[in-house]
Amino acid sequence: MTITTLKLNLGPQHPSTHGVLRLLLELDGEKILSCEPDIGYLHRGMEKMAEKLSYIQYLPTVDRIDYLAGFFYSELLCRIVEKALGIEIPEKVRVIRVLLLELNRISSHLLWIGAFLMDLGAVSPFFYAFRDREMILRYFEKLTGQRMMYNYFVFGGVRRDIDFLEEVENIISVVSEKLNDYDKIITENPIFLRRTLNKGILDKETALNYSITGVNLRASGVDFDYRFQDCLYKGFDIGTVVLEKGDAFTRYQARTLEIKESIKIIRQALDYLKKSAKLEQKLVNPVNLKLPEGDYYADIEAPRGLASCFVRSLGEKEPYRLKWRTGSYYSVNLLRKLLVGEFLNDAIAISGSLDIILPEVDK
Amino acid sequence: MDWNKFYEVFSDCEIQGSKILIKSRLHDVIKFIKENYPFDILKEIIAIHNQDGSFELIYHLYSTIDEENLLISIFVKDKAESIVDLFKSAQADENEIYDLFGIEFTGNDNLKRLYMPESWEGHPLRKDYVQDDTRLCWNDDNDA
Repeated sequence: MTITTLKLNLGPQHPSTHGVLRLLLELDGEKILSCEPDIGYLHRGMEKMAEKLSYIQYLPTVDRIDYLAGFFYSELLCRIVEKALGIEIPEKVRVIRVLLLELNRISSHLLWIGAFLMDLGAVSPFFYAFRDREMILRYFEKLTGQRMMYNYFVFGGVRRDIDFLEEVENIISVVSEKLNDYDKIITENPIFLRRTLNKGILDKETALNYSITGVNLRASGVDFDYRFQDCLYKGFDIGTVVLEKGDAFTRYQARTLEIKESIKIIRQALDYLKKSAKLEQKLVNPVNLKLPEGDYYADIEAPRGLASCFVRSLGEKEPYRLKWRTGSYYSVNLLRKLLVGEFLNDAIAISGSLDIILPEVDK
Repeated sequence: MDWNKFYEVFSDCEIQGSKILIKSRLHDVIKFIKENYPFDILKEIIAIHNQDGSFELIYHLYSTIDEENLLISIFVKDKAESIVDLFKSAQADENEIYDLFGIEFTGNDNLKRLYMPESWEGHPLRKDYVQDDTRLCWNDDNDA
């Protein structure tokens, strides 16, 4: 008797691939024997584009690397320029940035919760999550003029002073209340538990070997959060969530708990901003901006893992080489290992739990 | 960090702060560092096409225990040693570099075009890549 295996295309036009990810699965019955991710459907040449544009021309495009967490990438590019020119941003700018980054992290995690539950077949949490995320997006729109591509951080500061702080207060009080509802409808749901508990277990060594960072790494028991070393978060009391088990459910749990930690950081930022004076900042003149010769490197703890930007400048208007490191890119690579030996119906739950977003993968 | 042990084995390397410049034996160097020093994550591999035509590869290691960065820099022509057997994440980086720079990694037999189509000629991030590529203009006036 010969054993025949079946090759199955998962995606690229599959609703639960969160973009256009194609997974070529080899199946023996329901069991996955191998997985080969195929990416590049969303490639926009972000790195090539940088070599032709000046820094200020490039700045609005970087929000699009991860359209669910745009602030993080503009912060990275701003940080590179500020580092290269030796500028120290004013205290208030720093706190504004922290506030917006953490709000952005919450909105990104909320979207993930909704989308992940939808992948598993539960439709209503999607609407709950989007309802809460909508409040944050409305606030961003009021402040920056855009719902997703903000272009609000500029070299040396922010575009305009922060406003509507009472709205932020309202958002965080609503979100922290709603998190209890999520616990009731999701975390205690037996179907959800069955589909995620002990599925796609990622151990510490594998996670490190595959360069997994962020929430996925912390859900596997490694206490590594870049925010602790980040100068931007200096003076803030940051809590981090480290869980041991490393399965799909733990990753879900880690994200919901991280929202709570972000809310605490936002509260601290609000306390500071309410008492602070009018914003005074000295922006960099972007016309004829040239970075001194050298290599520059900046990291940030983005919602999908450690994100970093490398710039080599030859003293020109444009960078000689610019490289992005994004968390999702390595999570896709991990699927080669994590899906093997699992059943096909768990493949969606496992790949969904890693919070992969394709524009970030394809760059 | 005590680099004397490293110097004993690889005496021709140059250490500048947190950057090590090596000339050859890339795989051995990274293997030695992984086994003897607490660097547990390969954050990324950065490739740069220099003006003289050579490629610089920067291997960015990170230690989640000591929270320290280490950069290992090597200049190659168009071939480099693969380190997939040491860090599985290198598969992703090496594939990207193969696609965008056209550098072959010996020891990695799973290299393919990633972002660019299979039949694409040229490697976009090389400095000598032709910019006005007619294949990028899909309009009716264009025969390509």
